Amino acid sequence: MSTVATRTRQVVRRPARRAAWTGRAMLVPAVFAVVVIAVYPLVFSVAASLSDSSLGQQFTDWVGGANYAALFTDGVTLPSLVRSVVFALASAILALVGGSVVALCLDVSVRSGRVLRVLLLLPLMTPPVMAAVVWRLMLAPTGGLFNNVIQTISPGAEPFLFLGSSPAAMISVIAVDAWQWAPFCALLVFAALQTLPSEVYEAAQVDGAGTLQVFRRITFPLLLPSLLTALLLKVVLSFKVFDLVFVMTGGGPGFDTTVSSYDIYRSGFQSFDIGMAAAQTIVFLVLVTIVIVPLNAVRQRAQKGAS
Amino acid sequence: MSIRTAVSGDATRAVVLPGSRPRRAPGSSSRAISSLKWVVLVVAILLAITPILYLIATSFKSPDDILSTRILPARFAVENWASAMANWPIFTYLGNSLLVAGVAVVVALVIAVPANYAIARLRVGGGQTLLLIVSAYIAPPVVAIVPLFLLVRTAGLMNSPFGLGLVEGLMLTPVAVWLLDGFFRSIPGEIDEAAQLDGCGPVRTLVSVLLPLITPGLAAVGIIVFILVYNDFLIPLLLTQTGSAQTLPVGIALMQGGREVMFGQMAAASLTGIIPVYLLALFAQRWLIGGLTQGSVK
Repeated sequence: MSTVATRTRQVVRRPARRAAWTGRAMLVPAVFAVVVIAVYPLVFSVAASLSDSSLGQQFTDWVGGANYAALFTDGVTLPSLVRSVVFALASAILALVGGSVVALCLDVSVRSGRVLRVLLLLPLMTPPVMAAVVWRLMLAPTGGLFNNVIQTISPGAEPFLFLGSSPAAMISVIAVDAWQWAPFCALLVFAALQTLPSEVYEAAQVDGAGTLQVFRRITFPLLLPSLLTALLLKVVLSFKVFDLVFVMTGGGPGFDTTVSSYDIYRSGFQSFDIGMAAAQTIVFLVLVTIVIVPLNAVRQRAQKGAS
Repeated sequence: MSIRTAVSGDATRAVVLPGSRPRRAPGSSSRAISSLKWVVLVVAILLAITPILYLIATSFKSPDDILSTRILPARFAVENWASAMANWPIFTYLGNSLLVAGVAVVVALVIAVPANYAIARLRVGGGQTLLLIVSAYIAPPVVAIVPLFLLVRTAGLMNSPFGLGLVEGLMLTPVAVWLLDGFFRSIPGEIDEAAQLDGCGPVRTLVSVLLPLITPGLAAVGIIVFILVYNDFLIPLLLTQTGSAQTLPVGIALMQGGREVMFGQMAAASLTGIIPVYLLALFAQRWLIGGLTQGSVK
């Protein structure tokens, strides 16, 4: 009797144990990917930031905190960090507000919904480099669409330097980024709108609530967790910006649009100072964490409150 | 967590299923409101497509047209396209872009699918595994460029579309894992149990039972990874330095085209790079939208 029991248990347990091992084995490639793209770069950057390293020769000397001391006084790194935060928050909020407005309007286009959605998604699909080229052409001082319009309205006016003056350059880059990503936000918000319970709306209709009232009292509070999730996602994505700056302004005029991504790229691949680039990388990572962690906490609280 | 994902997964799919219609929110059906909504939509569409239309018009403009303030070309200057093709190896760039994106999709999916199976169905490592893998994507890619550049140079993979595709595939593995998670969790667990009772091991359950069920998910995630890699600039910029290995965004970004005479050619070159993504988006929009919203809305 007991042998039978043991045998059955073995039979049952063996596949389970095999599954556990197979499961671990199946995770190995993904762990390898994370090590290559995240763990190794982080360890390398911490080490390199404490050393004197160039692109050709790394770790020639240990310099302790010298790279960090230098970045606090070089007059470029700290303003770039501030610009990264300004860019990330401004472009995220702009894209989310624009996208939400579109998402809230999409319900009228029941019949032409598909065509509409494809058209609205075009900015998102456009490769950022090409989007930057288009907007650089449109914002060009001579021959650009916007300055042509200005010329038509008031002939002989000085061309407006959208990408060559402060603060227009930063505003332009932020606006182009929002143009690209508003469709993504619209998509997320639209999907969230579909999950809202219809009973609440029916009840509101029975009670005779107006459109604005329905939005303020029902749609917005119910949507808030999704909006915060979309905002968090877009802030994460906005910190990655590089291509728009590279193509549209090259970080200029002066350092006006030099965000941290571009600053780190310049240190590493134009000045070939790997030690400095690594120190900037670490500080940038800390900054991204400081912005994202509280935002995520707020999002989680809203989500908990909603469910 | 799992329930939420599954629910949002169903909701997203409901959005994209053919025949399903966005629900009209009751109370918002008054005529004034809906015409206001139409105005907003028309403005949004104009904002979305004007730059593209401008690019098309510019690609057919002669330098004289560009300096004049006319919106449409006076005559169709087809020579912009010819000289763009002659001045830059556009089709080499395009071929590289497609090859790199294709390699990256294969790499990312081959790594992500078993990982997702282990996480969602075998529950390896508790609930934290997914979060750990996905968090690797939060850091801006610029953080990894210097170490990756040195690694790729040491490995002798510089200027190789395959090397670049491999790196991009690894970079996008967290995205693939994140997006696929919802698709895996939307399949009822009874299916695994039935497969196990029929004597399938984990590998066979994954390959012959689950994979056919998540084909739409694989398509969606594959298309998204493809577009992300095709559109990427920073990594290809650093890992390819010769014209014969560069991708289209790199080639176009490095064109010295600030002067107005070049506007037409730059526009033509950019359009060549945009057309493939738009075609892909057009034909695959159903999977694309389902995949983009998967996992992100909760």
